Amino acid sequence: MTHATTPVPAGMRSPGARFWMNNKSMLIGCGVLVVLMIVVPFTASSSVMNIVVFAMIFALPAIGLNLLMGLAGQVSLGQAAFFAIGAYTHAILLTKLDLPGPVAATIGVLAAMLVALLVGLPLMRLRGHYLALATLGLGFIVMIGVREWDVTGRTTGIYGISRPTVFGIPIDNNGFFLWFVTPFVVIGLILALNLTRSRAGRALSAVNDSELAAESLGVNTYALRLKVFVLSAGFAGLGGVFYAYQVAIVSPSTSEFHLSVSILLMVVIGGLGSVWGAVAGAFLVQFLGEGMRDIIPAIFPGATGEVQLLGYGIVLILVILLLPGGLFQAATTLWQKLPFGGKRPPVDAHAHAAEDDTTIPQLPAVSTPVAAGEPILVISGLTKRYGGVVAVNDVSLSVPAGSILGLIGPNGAGKTTCFNMISGALTPTSGTVTFLGQVISGRKPHVAAAHGLTRTFQNLQVFTSTDVVGNVYMGRYRKGSAGVLRGMLGLQSSEQSAHRAASYEILASMRLTDAADDSASDLSFGKQRIMEVCRALAAEPALLLLDEPMAGLSGAERDVMAELLRRLRAAGLTIVLVEHDVAQVMSLADHVAVLDDGVLIAHGDPESVRNDPAVVVAYLGTDLDEAEAELIELEEHA
Amino acid sequence: MLTDFLQLTVAGLSQGSVYALLAVGLIAVYTVRHVINIAQGEFAMLAGLGSAWLVAAGMPLFLGVLVAILTVTLVAIAMERLIIARVKKLTPLTSIILTLGVSTLLQAIMLLAWGPEAKGVPLFPGTNILIGGVSIRSQEFWMIGALVVVGGGIVLFYEKSRWGKALRACAEQPVAARIVGISPVAASVLAFAIAGFVGAVAGVVASPIYLSLWSGGVLLGLKGFVAAVLGGFVSFRAAIVGALLLGMIEAYVAGYVASGLRDGAAFLILILVLVVRPQGLVLKPTAVRV
Amino acid sequence: MKKSRLRFIAPIAVVTALALAGCSTSNLGGTADADPAAEAGPIKIGAVLDVTGVGASLGVPEQNTLTMLAKQLNADGGIDGRDVELTIVDNQSTEDGAAKATSKLIESDKVDLIIGASRTGPSLAMRPIAEAAKVPMISVAANIAIVEGSQWVFKTAQNDVVVIERILDDAKAKGYTKLALVRDATGFGEGVADYITKLGAERGITLVMTEAFEPSATDFTPQMTNVRGSDADAVIIWGINPSAGLAQKAYVQLGVNKPVYHSHGISNQAFFDAAGDAANGVIAPMGRLLVADQLAADNPQSTVIDQFKADYSKAYSEQPSGFAGHAFDAWHIAVNAIDAVGTDPEALRTELETAKWTGISGVFKMTAKNHSGLDASALILAEAEDGRWNLLKD
Repeated sequence: MTHATTPVPAGMRSPGARFWMNNKSMLIGCGVLVVLMIVVPFTASSSVMNIVVFAMIFALPAIGLNLLMGLAGQVSLGQAAFFAIGAYTHAILLTKLDLPGPVAATIGVLAAMLVALLVGLPLMRLRGHYLALATLGLGFIVMIGVREWDVTGRTTGIYGISRPTVFGIPIDNNGFFLWFVTPFVVIGLILALNLTRSRAGRALSAVNDSELAAESLGVNTYALRLKVFVLSAGFAGLGGVFYAYQVAIVSPSTSEFHLSVSILLMVVIGGLGSVWGAVAGAFLVQFLGEGMRDIIPAIFPGATGEVQLLGYGIVLILVILLLPGGLFQAATTLWQKLPFGGKRPPVDAHAHAAEDDTTIPQLPAVSTPVAAGEPILVISGLTKRYGGVVAVNDVSLSVPAGSILGLIGPNGAGKTTCFNMISGALTPTSGTVTFLGQVISGRKPHVAAAHGLTRTFQNLQVFTSTDVVGNVYMGRYRKGSAGVLRGMLGLQSSEQSAHRAASYEILASMRLTDAADDSASDLSFGKQRIMEVCRALAAEPALLLLDEPMAGLSGAERDVMAELLRRLRAAGLTIVLVEHDVAQVMSLADHVAVLDDGVLIAHGDPESVRNDPAVVVAYLGTDLDEAEAELIELEEHA
Repeated sequence: MLTDFLQLTVAGLSQGSVYALLAVGLIAVYTVRHVINIAQGEFAMLAGLGSAWLVAAGMPLFLGVLVAILTVTLVAIAMERLIIARVKKLTPLTSIILTLGVSTLLQAIMLLAWGPEAKGVPLFPGTNILIGGVSIRSQEFWMIGALVVVGGGIVLFYEKSRWGKALRACAEQPVAARIVGISPVAASVLAFAIAGFVGAVAGVVASPIYLSLWSGGVLLGLKGFVAAVLGGFVSFRAAIVGALLLGMIEAYVAGYVASGLRDGAAFLILILVLVVRPQGLVLKPTAVRV
Repeated sequence: MKKSRLRFIAPIAVVTALALAGCSTSNLGGTADADPAAEAGPIKIGAVLDVTGVGASLGVPEQNTLTMLAKQLNADGGIDGRDVELTIVDNQSTEDGAAKATSKLIESDKVDLIIGASRTGPSLAMRPIAEAAKVPMISVAANIAIVEGSQWVFKTAQNDVVVIERILDDAKAKGYTKLALVRDATGFGEGVADYITKLGAERGITLVMTEAFEPSATDFTPQMTNVRGSDADAVIIWGINPSAGLAQKAYVQLGVNKPVYHSHGISNQAFFDAAGDAANGVIAPMGRLLVADQLAADNPQSTVIDQFKADYSKAYSEQPSGFAGHAFDAWHIAVNAIDAVGTDPEALRTELETAKWTGISGVFKMTAKNHSGLDASALILAEAEDGRWNLLKD
């Protein structure tokens, strides 16, 4: 049907619809919407017409909020505030300064975005609830502001806004108005759809799956969220501009809480993260509201006022309880139940990757800007305290480029804490981490990633909402450059297909091609771990931090992994790995560092560390059985 | 001048007592479920309108108030059992949408049941007094008294009793709660019951002079939230102090600047605190971010 | 599975298609079904009222009154045999609700005349829309700005200027020279301070302070504390209920013992409900409805007031308020004009400009210049005592 029709680049199999959306269905969708909107004024009754016009106006803030909630995972309960800022600015410029409509409208949208930027700068650093309630507070502040300010007409607002004129035709009826709004909604829709599948959009959905992993791949979560917040306010502001035109008055009630609730409802009904769902939701909520206003007084005689809230409340609760994905989820489920829909086209599983397992796969690219042997990572005096507990105590060491450093130590020795401080996930209490001559400690992980440091995680951080190749593709984030704007304009397809090809190649190097299109969460634990290594390699790092890369892997898989790491070292990559499998570490590493109780007790080549009495005691001192086992291993190796 | 200042202070303290009770309810739920209950203010309005209706129908004042408070407590428990508990994985996103849904639903029910007008419970018994030109209304004693008795009681419960301590530990250490013998289910129900109860108490004591309105809960709940944020969303004591401060600041803004700006002041404080000290006013800075 | 967007278009298409019926150009400014039906079929009167929200204590009795009168009229055979179809829309006491409702009534319901809104702000919002569409509108709110300079808009509530003059005259007679004003922050209270300053100057009265409150306010301590500290001889509280009643209550509870005037915005039972005993001693100018039993026997309004009170209390088992009276007058002025000239907008507008009506709020004499039609004689001064109003001066 409409899916899987993207032309597939030669040599690559169709990835299906899971990760790569296609342009064709977007164009068909927009086409249908446009045709409908052209036809509606000729056929609809005037009351339906009224609903349709408002649905199209509110589709704009709903699309914006959907980007924020679905993509950036942030809740705003103050979407009406930005709607009102757009509407008021527009109205004031039109009625008091007599500016031309397009100018006033543009300034209106920009004003909404500017306020969002100012508010977002501090607020986007906070998580979850706080942004929601702070934006709710913002809504009240805007409402109070416009009510108390002479320029905004106080409680009465700004009235007497004249309808626009386009090419000499006055837009003085609902039909013309609908045609006036539709192009803007369609453009907004396309921009939003483009964004969801752009580099930035994918990064945001990765952030929702695992903020830690996304940041360690170079995603600046804060900046991206802020951009989407500002963008979402822009959509709301544009909606407000049209609202001011349509209603001919802007009053404090445009910033009302219940308006924010209804916009939120549109997004929730439509389905979080589905841009089309937001548009559908806008229509549904408008019809629902109108319907409830008719039905409820019939059921409850004498009921007056905003009785539609009864329906809003019930629907909000039921959708989250029963259908968290909204209409989008319902439609998807329905589609999959249809005999002709849903199933993904049978892919030729071996068309591309059925290379003989004996052939040596191509090696992922490595980018090391310093000569082998030069220090690439220098740690000095690294310390982390939690209250009175010292997790890592004054650790200093240096890693030469092109070598493998194994970091070992008993459980709770502070290995992962050390790792987290190197990668930027934790801020050291004191001490510094210098990578390629830059101090990166205390900065966010994406800073380290930007310099070429990537990592994997002991507790897997898989992007569960996408497939395997999608995960690896995220590793390419640092190699791309397209931002939010380019993403919205759809100007990154060549960049994307190059990264896509690279992602498949990297999967091939770890013999994961067969699983490329599987959902990442369906993979076995070992395969997920390998996938994470692929993801980290996709970033073409100069330094790779591996947190227990062998855990959960089968013997064969371990061999593949070890072989890959050796070849990567040969290609110039520097690797630091934390590993329980001491035998593997000893055979792989050029140097071994041993942590015990947060203190670096030994550091040197495997041979000297193995014979270091302090190491033996450390292993003995923690757990007798484990230490014995380790010792036997060490002996065997010797 | 001093009289005016004291007069505004009295008004601020009594209003702040209402915010404080709501903040206590919000924190009670948050510590156990990590849910910010947007419907907290609706508990107050529901109790106010309900008892006004009962009393108007002929029920004695205190009986009506008691019935309303108990009913609202049950409503809160029902909210937990029927809605909150049904969601397996509560994210900030879903919990906000859910409690917003409950808030909207309760508003609509109040609108349908009692109409759009503001209604008040009759004044509680007592006489207004005048000290040095400062007039204290009898109901203001009731409001401040409710905070002292109910709010203080809840604080003592959390700090002194085994169950209370376990509830506090619930968020960080569900295991600890189990050891004391509270299952997560019981803890959650208890937290919502407390939220409903304190919300209802706040609603009925405030109703005689501030009236109850179907749509008034959102703003009131938000003020409670601002107070809870001042307390870092963990400390009852800090939140109560924050709430009283908030009430007084509002009264001073309304009296000395412009009455229309009073709500603006509250939310300005909210945004400032979130930006400058998201960990609240009283606690020492710790990692609140994640 | 995000790919096939067609399936999300489908529901929109279905919903829309289901809702579609017929085919006309009426949404495009065409008048396919408006004019042919205009002189036949029912006469359409629309009303935009503050049924919910802060203006509910005004809008609800107004809604009751209009519903009752429409029923009566249709039971009596309508106008010239044509039924009157009354559509009441709640603006939720908001300005844009009023604007939307007005557009809907004009565009969807194609009404011949609009009554409303209950308060000044929403009425001001409706005015440009009614004027642009050339549909006569009769507001039931007070502020003179609603009708000033308008060709199409009329109103039935007594002008605020006249109310202020009444209060100032009484204040002057009692020797007050300094007044404080505590006013509604919305359209109803806007401009009041300016009028008091201007009209007070002629009487040697100065306005020493102005405080404002939102109609949704419940706490008046700050305002009343400031009033208490001022050197005013008397205070004017200018608002509608419940806020005006609550302000009065706070005023008394805070021990401010200066005489109080209220506006005509409190002429309903809600004032006593909100203020309780604190209402005693309040003086307010108002229409004659609430003191009908104390009027001189030959008062021209007596008959119509008594009839209205009887009808209203029979239908709703409560006494009508002054606001119900405003709606009553608007309805009759509208119906009389339609009865005389039909529903042609221009003819109707011209007829309304010559309307004469002895009603609840006063004796109306509309002119092209005066779209309010009431003068100071429409108001009496009354004093509150134990839940009722005593006529002070007719």
